Amino acid sequence: MRSAASLTVELDGTGGSVVRGLRSAAPLTLVPRRRGTGAPGPAVVHLVGSATSPLGGDDLALRVRVEAGARLLLRGIAAALALPGHRPGGSRSSISIDVEEGGTVEYLPEPTVITARAEHRAELVVRLARSARACCRETLVLGRSGESPGGLVTSTSLEREGEPLLRHTFEPGGERLRASHGHLGGARVLANEVVAWGRDPELPRSEPDWALLPLAGGGSLTTVLAPDAVTARRRLAEARAVHPAVEELTPADGPW
Amino acid sequence: MALRTTTASLAVLTLADARFPGGGHAHSGGLEEAVHRGAVSDPRQLREFLHGRLHGAGAQAAVFAAAAAHAAARRVHPHHWSRLDAEFDARTPSPAQRAASRAQGRGTFRAGRAAWPSEVLDELLTITGSPHHPVVVGVLLGAGASGTPVEAAFVTAYLSVSGPASAAVRLLGLDPFAANAAVAALEHEAEGVAEAAARSAGESPEDLPGTSAPALDLLAQEHQRHHREEVRLFAS
Repeated sequence: MRSAASLTVELDGTGGSVVRGLRSAAPLTLVPRRRGTGAPGPAVVHLVGSATSPLGGDDLALRVRVEAGARLLLRGIAAALALPGHRPGGSRSSISIDVEEGGTVEYLPEPTVITARAEHRAELVVRLARSARACCRETLVLGRSGESPGGLVTSTSLEREGEPLLRHTFEPGGERLRASHGHLGGARVLANEVVAWGRDPELPRSEPDWALLPLAGGGSLTTVLAPDAVTARRRLAEARAVHPAVEELTPADGPW
Repeated sequence: MALRTTTASLAVLTLADARFPGGGHAHSGGLEEAVHRGAVSDPRQLREFLHGRLHGAGAQAAVFAAAAAHAAARRVHPHHWSRLDAEFDARTPSPAQRAASRAQGRGTFRAGRAAWPSEVLDELLTITGSPHHPVVVGVLLGAGASGTPVEAAFVTAYLSVSGPASAAVRLLGLDPFAANAAVAALEHEAEGVAEAAARSAGESPEDLPGTSAPALDLLAQEHQRHHREEVRLFAS
């Protein structure tokens, strides 16, 4: 299935953010949360997988634009399951987000589970204007319980005014590579959260299974390795608690 | 041009030599922390650690060494060096690993400049202040020593595992023969990593492939933290 969805968020003139343009394309369905007009706060949009996706052969694209000063919270509501399809070729999902001056995007999807024989490629590209802010999370579950994952390549690119802050490509590889302590250390779940908020942690923080890493060009990346998604979420929360922008970030655990 | 009868130039052998005075001996590439945690304690576990290290950190370093050798040989605009520097930084989220790469870059620069001086090498220093290790290796071979991108990648891939292997001898009292054999076992894979890196050598810096190794990022940060609190043998 090939589909292209898009979303634009702008300021409504009273300080609130509203969805101006929205085009869903199955299986990517965008559901804006209703709220009173003129209410302050971010525009909240839920990303709902309306068909079993991503399947082999799927090519899903989402383009998001956050206009000057607006704020968008884009979140998932359920884990996505990457599965092999009936047609040859892997699945691909690409999300590109442009944020104008003073704008903010928070992208908080639920975990993606890579099942056996899946061949999935996920790309996230975020381009920020000088004063824009972003917080994007990714949780990868390598196989359902007791299952070895199929193929996966995931890449996140974050730029501010065209300068690279983060280019993060991850490929779990085969069983031997996944088990190596020089690569993935046998973890089943990898979670990342990149935050570019203007205020960055001055020093890195680390524990054996997570680290909050200040990036060279600004922003920070939290990396978590965990045995399961629940633990990964807890570690992400621990890392957030020591981030200087924690008060301004939307809590990742609802309420939805 | 003189006919080369050997397969590796003297510059390649010198840069890969453990006795090259570039300061590489001070780094364990995350192995010291892995040993400290009990994750690596015998030759088999060392081999598995090196295998992972080669395909993640080693592959990324090889990509940048090949790209730097390619850029040095074609005399790119000096701005290219700051773009390569920023792209390597963006692919290295761990501050401890960025610092280790720049520290080894400085040491390799000083020793390498005496042996293979070039205008490009001086340009690299002027633009970046403290260049990353794979970029220095690439420029030394590409500008001063007439090496190729694949040679620069191969040297860098080799160094990504040879340093940790010799660190294992000191950290674990491992049989040096076994540690050496663990490196030698990676011959075909290291060649594959170098060949893949050479294929992307001419790409624009932002399009160069990157490979993250999250377990290594965590080891690097924890090593740095423990290094401040207790005595450690290695700087990284």
